[in-house]
Amino acid sequence: MNPPTGPAPNPVSRRGFFQLTFGWLAAAFAVAASAAGAVRFLVPNVLFEPSQVFKAGKPDDFLDGSATFLEDERVFLVRQGNTFRCLSAICTHLGCTVNRADHGYHCPCHGSVFDDQGNVKSGPAPRALEWFQVTFSKDNRILVDKNRRVTAENALVLPAKV
Amino acid sequence: MNPPAPKRLWQWFAHTRVGRSIFRVGLPQSNLERAQAMVSSILLHIQPAKVHRHSLKPGYTLGLGLVSLDLFFILTATGVLLMFYYVPSTDRAYQTMKDLQFVVSAGLLLRNMHRWAAHLMVLFVMLHLCRVFYTGAYKRPREFNWTIGVGLFLMTLGLSFTGYLLPWDQLAFWAITVGTNIAGYAPVIGPKLQFLLLGGHTVGQEALTRFYALHVIVLPGVAALMISVHLWRVRKDGGLSRPEEPGDVVEQRPLEQLPVNKSYGLMELARGTTPQVGIDPQDEIFSWPHLVFRELLLFLLVSAVVLFLAIFWNAPLEEFANPIHPPNPAKAPWYFLGLQELVSYSAFWGGVLVPGLLVTALVLLPYLDRNRGGVGRWFARERVVANTIFTICLLTAIVLTIIGTFFRGPNWGWVDPWKPTPVQTEGH
Repeated sequence: MNPPTGPAPNPVSRRGFFQLTFGWLAAAFAVAASAAGAVRFLVPNVLFEPSQVFKAGKPDDFLDGSATFLEDERVFLVRQGNTFRCLSAICTHLGCTVNRADHGYHCPCHGSVFDDQGNVKSGPAPRALEWFQVTFSKDNRILVDKNRRVTAENALVLPAKV
Repeated sequence: MNPPAPKRLWQWFAHTRVGRSIFRVGLPQSNLERAQAMVSSILLHIQPAKVHRHSLKPGYTLGLGLVSLDLFFILTATGVLLMFYYVPSTDRAYQTMKDLQFVVSAGLLLRNMHRWAAHLMVLFVMLHLCRVFYTGAYKRPREFNWTIGVGLFLMTLGLSFTGYLLPWDQLAFWAITVGTNIAGYAPVIGPKLQFLLLGGHTVGQEALTRFYALHVIVLPGVAALMISVHLWRVRKDGGLSRPEEPGDVVEQRPLEQLPVNKSYGLMELARGTTPQVGIDPQDEIFSWPHLVFRELLLFLLVSAVVLFLAIFWNAPLEEFANPIHPPNPAKAPWYFLGLQELVSYSAFWGGVLVPGLLVTALVLLPYLDRNRGGVGRWFARERVVANTIFTICLLTAIVLTIIGTFFRGPNWGWVDPWKPTPVQTEGH
């Protein structure tokens, strides 16, 4: 058989068309499915991270007017009279831990400044610090749920006598 | 004159039957053997048997690409050795660093070499990029090799970034916390990308495992592959860039006009920019020994400098990673401090948009720059516009880096470096 000389008009046969189309489709599908599978493989199904719900302690553990830093949870527990609130200590900018200042909170990494209500006073932080839901557990402990975000006003008010 | 004893021994061995089977060509004695020596060795054959005399001018390339490659070799060798002790676990990583510092023979030296070579590699890859820009070497036909080079620059930064987490000290923990949070600002995929990088929501064991795998095999593997392509393309794109000379371009019949039913030798198929075409033989120099020995000499020099730095300066190791308290100020390594300064104004603008646009501009540069002139000369006058734009960007980056390095103190506040450090009152 002689090889074709020069470019000749070569109409695609039916078999050629199907081979070409399905061949390439199958190849594209195989590549896409492998890539998708690999990415899915890298998304963990189980996380070994501490629970987002924790007991902070007894109400009497916290002085009136204090903002206590709870290290393991990276939150501040703020008590004013009989109201208890829980403020995230994680800067909304890039995740550093903010420090308590005389008034408000300062982030050491990029200089964001927050007021006592967690609102941004200056710096690159795009949002206010998060407030978490505070409730009272059955065994008289303060219960914080870091999954539930609340507004700054939404505080736990204890009954007059605990 | 009688050659020295080692050379005589080598010559004797290279001509025995075993020596011949290994080396094929002994120590080259003639021009033919010089060419054969280059072609018959897998280590040497990535380079041409002859190079243009302009390629050997040290004032043109400054050897920056080669220095980067040498540093990559040093990093691979020292890195593999460090792997024999390092354990990528949040409990033990920091302790293995201390072991390397105080217990393992030459452990401190190897870790120092690895760290300083890494810093130098970032520096020299950047300088190499500047050299290629200022000599217009990215222009046709070398556009795509520039793009691969930009990819290698990003690989270098990625390797540095992933390597930073491994000691599991304060710098490691907070640099990666900040870095992966920046990834979280990427549009649409940001939070998912951050989760994928960390393998969770916070920097912990999963993140360390992932960064370790990226650092020791994924990124070096990809980088090695890209380096091979980068070097191979240098040859295929006509050797190093150089000023055009009369006789450089020879008329060739386009491939399509050649008869198709004939057998061709490789030389006949060599097209356009391959090294064989259009170079006056008088302008060519044998790679052996002129190129190979220069390369070896530069490698020795680079090794000596890295060794010198490693002997006299220890790589820093901060306190054990404390997920509760970031150091104040928490600073990234110097090559990210310009970015950190930008990020301190806005995470999205400084961390995503500006770097994203810069990288896109770098990748597209050879296709956007329509000016064909000024190739092969430093600061060619035809390229004054391009050079000015590039210089302004470069100076901005340098100024931002200097501000981030020297003028930022606690809480990223402004400090004057010539005044004594303010006493840190704000802390825990």
